[in-house]
Amino acid sequence: MTRAFLSGMWIHVVMFSRNPFDLSGVVLWPIIYASIAYYLLDSKDNPRLLLAASLGAAVMLMWSLVVIGSSNALENQRWLGTLELLVAAPVPFAAVIAPITVASGFVGAYALLATLAWGTLLFHVPLAIDHPLAFAVAVPACVLAIGMLGLVMASTFVLYRAAFSLGISLQYPVWIATGLLVPLSVLPPFVRKIGWFLGPYWGFRGIREATLGSAPWPYIGMSVAISIAYVAIGSICLHYFERVARSTGSLKLT
Amino acid sequence: MRNALRIFFVGGATSYRALFNWISPWVYIPHTLGYPVFEILFFAYLGRFANVQSDKFFLIGNAFMSIAMTGFFGMGNAVGGERRSQTLATLLASPANRFALFLGRAVPSIFTGFITAVFAFTICSLILHAHFSAHELAGIALAGIVASFACTSFGLCLGSLGLRGRSVSLFADMIGGSMLLLSGANVPLDRLPHAVRLVSNVLPLTHGIQAGRLLGGGGSLAQASHLLVREALVGAIYVCLGVTLLRLFEYEGRRSATLETF
Repeated sequence: MTRAFLSGMWIHVVMFSRNPFDLSGVVLWPIIYASIAYYLLDSKDNPRLLLAASLGAAVMLMWSLVVIGSSNALENQRWLGTLELLVAAPVPFAAVIAPITVASGFVGAYALLATLAWGTLLFHVPLAIDHPLAFAVAVPACVLAIGMLGLVMASTFVLYRAAFSLGISLQYPVWIATGLLVPLSVLPPFVRKIGWFLGPYWGFRGIREATLGSAPWPYIGMSVAISIAYVAIGSICLHYFERVARSTGSLKLT
Repeated sequence: MRNALRIFFVGGATSYRALFNWISPWVYIPHTLGYPVFEILFFAYLGRFANVQSDKFFLIGNAFMSIAMTGFFGMGNAVGGERRSQTLATLLASPANRFALFLGRAVPSIFTGFITAVFAFTICSLILHAHFSAHELAGIALAGIVASFACTSFGLCLGSLGLRGRSVSLFADMIGGSMLLLSGANVPLDRLPHAVRLVSNVLPLTHGIQAGRLLGGGGSLAQASHLLVREALVGAIYVCLGVTLLRLFEYEGRRSATLETF
């Protein structure tokens, strides 16, 4: 199972890295959102705010790639007629899907580099990381937390033929609820608590605190803890939805 | 002419019905309606945080964005979808009028986009407590119709690329994303660099959004007329360009036998 996960992840990282859709997303989208934030915030007196916006835009893209990349990958399997073969394989289906979602998040980490480079070169955002070691741990922890949330979401994609459309519609709600670019303090109070249950909330705060703050480790720890919880929930959901899809015979329908 | 009209109406209606055979309305409706609602709220709250402009600024800008996206994707996917399902070559072997054929498939999607934008606008107006008079709403609707024409015209240019390449939706996605910034939907144009503003002026939507904001802010039709005329003019130019590209790329696709390449 470990071998299936690792080799699957490697294959999908390579595939996503060669996919123009994902690569254009990696480069273009975080730059667009970061630029909108730069022009709106216009905070020349507070460049650290712009750096936080860069990080938020990059994590936004990570989530988009996970939710869109994994739904697109599953929809492609369905179109190519290989989804039912994957479900029928002796390897647990979670070990087939988890590499897709984690690989999407991993490729999304490229966005971090693109956004930071864009901000530094064009908007003179100072690139100073307060805790480099914590930053090096926070990024993969964030990828893991987002990827595993993607696993929970991907389990529903097994049921729906319109997985890709469903994936696209899940972007903004998570961006809002996790306060990646818009601080939760300006949102209605009930929204603030939703973020606690979402991986990007803890992952982003881990990266942000490692870059700008003082206490990144609790957030990194929460990212890992919530990832473990997602694995458990995702496996149960996948098992259940797989059985429903098998019984309704809807795996092959495109 | 009669045949072209038949293809436009019957072909368009059939392909739209087919969409609902493919996707359950219980999935289609929430995601179609949900996306623009959350997009408007996201940027409106970002604007509040940045203390830039009013909620109405983002409400109108992003409602127009959802109209634009259906214009871009509706036309782009009309051609790209045929390539994906390997029916493009068969379709182009028919004597049907190309413009009627592809526009007929796009118009129902664009109409849906318009309804979606109205729904998202209404919901977000209630959430953000933004109020408009009937006169202002009529003005915004008029600007929306003109912007929809311009965006569909631009979508025709994108759709024609589907005769040459397989990644039209990718291109439409990138253009749509860039419009969030370039069209002034979310950033006041005077905050953008001069060179970027020059690009914004030749894109669809930019003048439509400006007209919508002017009319939505109580301005008269006379005050917004120059913006509406500019938007319509931009749309007319893209229609001419789109029809030319459609003919050119079909000829090239037939000549190089690449219509079925995927």
